[in-house]
Amino acid sequence: MGCLKTLVRRTLLGLLSRIGRTAETVARHAGEMTLLTWRVAVATLTGRVALRDVLIQLQSIGVGSIPLVAVTAILSGVVTSQQGGYQFTSSIPLYVLGSVVTSSIILELGPVMTSFVLIGRVGARITAELGTMKVSEQIDALYSLGRDPVSALAAPRIIAGTIAMPLLVGLADFIGVFAGLIAARFSIGLGPESFLFGARLYWHSWDLLYSVNKGLVFGFIIPLISVHMGFGTRGGAEGVGRATTSAVVLMIITVLVLDATFPPLFLN
Amino acid sequence: MIEYIDVHKAFDLPVLSGVSLTVETGETLSILGPSGTGKSVLLKTTNGLLVPDRGDVRIDGQSVYNSDGGALQRIRRQVGYVFQYAALFDSMNVFENVVTGLPDAEAKRARSPEVLGKVCDALEDVNLDPAVVFRKLPSELSGGMRKRVGLARAIVGRPQILLYDEPVTGLDPVNSATISRLILEIRDRTHVTSIVVTHDVEQALEISDRLALLTHGKLRFVGTPAEFRASGDPVVRAFADRRAAAEAALQLVEKEEEEVEEEL
Repeated sequence: MGCLKTLVRRTLLGLLSRIGRTAETVARHAGEMTLLTWRVAVATLTGRVALRDVLIQLQSIGVGSIPLVAVTAILSGVVTSQQGGYQFTSSIPLYVLGSVVTSSIILELGPVMTSFVLIGRVGARITAELGTMKVSEQIDALYSLGRDPVSALAAPRIIAGTIAMPLLVGLADFIGVFAGLIAARFSIGLGPESFLFGARLYWHSWDLLYSVNKGLVFGFIIPLISVHMGFGTRGGAEGVGRATTSAVVLMIITVLVLDATFPPLFLN
Repeated sequence: MIEYIDVHKAFDLPVLSGVSLTVETGETLSILGPSGTGKSVLLKTTNGLLVPDRGDVRIDGQSVYNSDGGALQRIRRQVGYVFQYAALFDSMNVFENVVTGLPDAEAKRARSPEVLGKVCDALEDVNLDPAVVFRKLPSELSGGMRKRVGLARAIVGRPQILLYDEPVTGLDPVNSATISRLILEIRDRTHVTSIVVTHDVEQALEISDRLALLTHGKLRFVGTPAEFRASGDPVVRAFADRRAAAEAALQLVEKEEEEVEEEL
C-alpha cells in the first residue's frame, strides 16, 4: 500500500513537473517572440530594413509558392466538390453544393491549406537557413560587423510573409472555387450557372475579408516562429534538424489554434 | 586599450571566474589554455557577442555593456573579429563577404571604384589575388583561403582592434605559418591592438608581445614570451615546453580538476 502511495505521489510530481517545464518553455518562447516582434517593428519603422531584401523574400516566399498553392487549391476544390456532390445526391438541391464548396474553400481550406504549404516550403527553409547561420557563427559575424541580424535577416522575411500570404490565400480561394465549379460539372453534372447561383445564395462579402485576414495573421506568425527557432538553434547539424522539426510542429499547432479562435471572434 | 574587469561567465558551470586583464594599445596578446577553459568566451565578451554575468569590459575607457545600441555598434565597428571557421556568409561571394566589413554607407556603394579598391587592398593584404577569388563562393575555397577571406573582411574597415579566435586551428603547417606572418604584417603596418586565442604555443611565442594562460576560468599567467619561457610554474612550463606540452599539460590539468572536484 505504501509502495503504491509512493508510486502515485512520484507519478503526480513527475506530471506536475512536466507541466511546469512545458509552461515555462511556452512562456519563454512567447516572451522571446514578442521581443522579436518589437525589434522587427522598430527596425521597420526606423527605416533599417532594406527594400531590396524584402523584395528578394517576396519573390522567394510569394512568387515561389504560387505553383504549390495552386495545386493544393485545385485539389481542395475538387475533393470538396466531389464529396459534397456524393452527399447531396438524395434530397438536398444540388445547387447548394456551390455554397458549400465556396464557403469551405474561402472560410477554411484556402487559408489553412495555404498556410500548410508555407510552413513546409518556407517556414522549414527559414529555420534551417538561419539555424545553419547560427551554428556556423554567421549570425555572430553579423553582430561583430556592427550589423543587426533582426534588420538584415528577420524583418525582411516577416514583412514578406505578412504581405505575400493574404495574396496567396486570395489566389487559393479563387482557384479552389473555380476547381470546385469544374469538378461539380464533371462529377454530378451541376452546371456553372447553378453552382454560382448556390454560391451567391449564401454569400457574405465579409467571408472573403475573413479569409484574407486569416492569411494576414498566418503570414505573420509562420515566418515569426521560423525566424525565432532559427535564431535559437544550438548544437551543429543535429541542432539544425531538431530546431527545424520543432519549428514545423510549433507552426502547425499555432496555425490550427489560431484558426480555431477565428470563428468565435469574427463569425458570430 | 582593452580592460577586462572581474569578468564572470557561466553556462550551467562556471567558465570565467573573475578574469581581470589589460591589453595596451598596439599590443598583441595571445591567450593560451586547454580546451574549454573560456578563451573564446573571454574573446566574445570583448565586443559584446557574449554578455558577462558579472564584471565589465572597457575599450578606451568606454564600457561595452553600459553602451546603448548605437554606441555598441560603433564599438563593434572598431573591433575586427576573425572567427575560428571564418564564418563567411554562404550565400555571398568573396567580394560581397569582404564588403560587409565596411561601414553601411560604403557597403551600399559596393560598385564604386573607392570600395572596389578597398576590397582589393584587403584581399591583397592577406595574399589573395582579387581577380581569382572575387566571384568565388566560400564553398569553393580551401580552409586556408576561407580564413584569409575572413581576415580580409575583418581588416577592410581598418579596425583599431583585431580579435583572432583560433586562427590556425585545422590548418596545415604552411597555412599556419602564412596566417602567423599575416598577423605580424598587419600589426606592423596598422599598429592594431590584437588578441589571439590559440592552442599553438609556437605561434603565440612568435607573434605576441605578451601571453596569458587561462586555466579553470582564471588567469594563471600573464607576461612576455621570455617570462613565459622562464616561468617556474609547472603548468606554464608544460605549455612552454612544446615537446611534452600536450601530455604534461593534460596530466596537470586533469590532476587539478580532480583536486577541484574533491574540494567541491
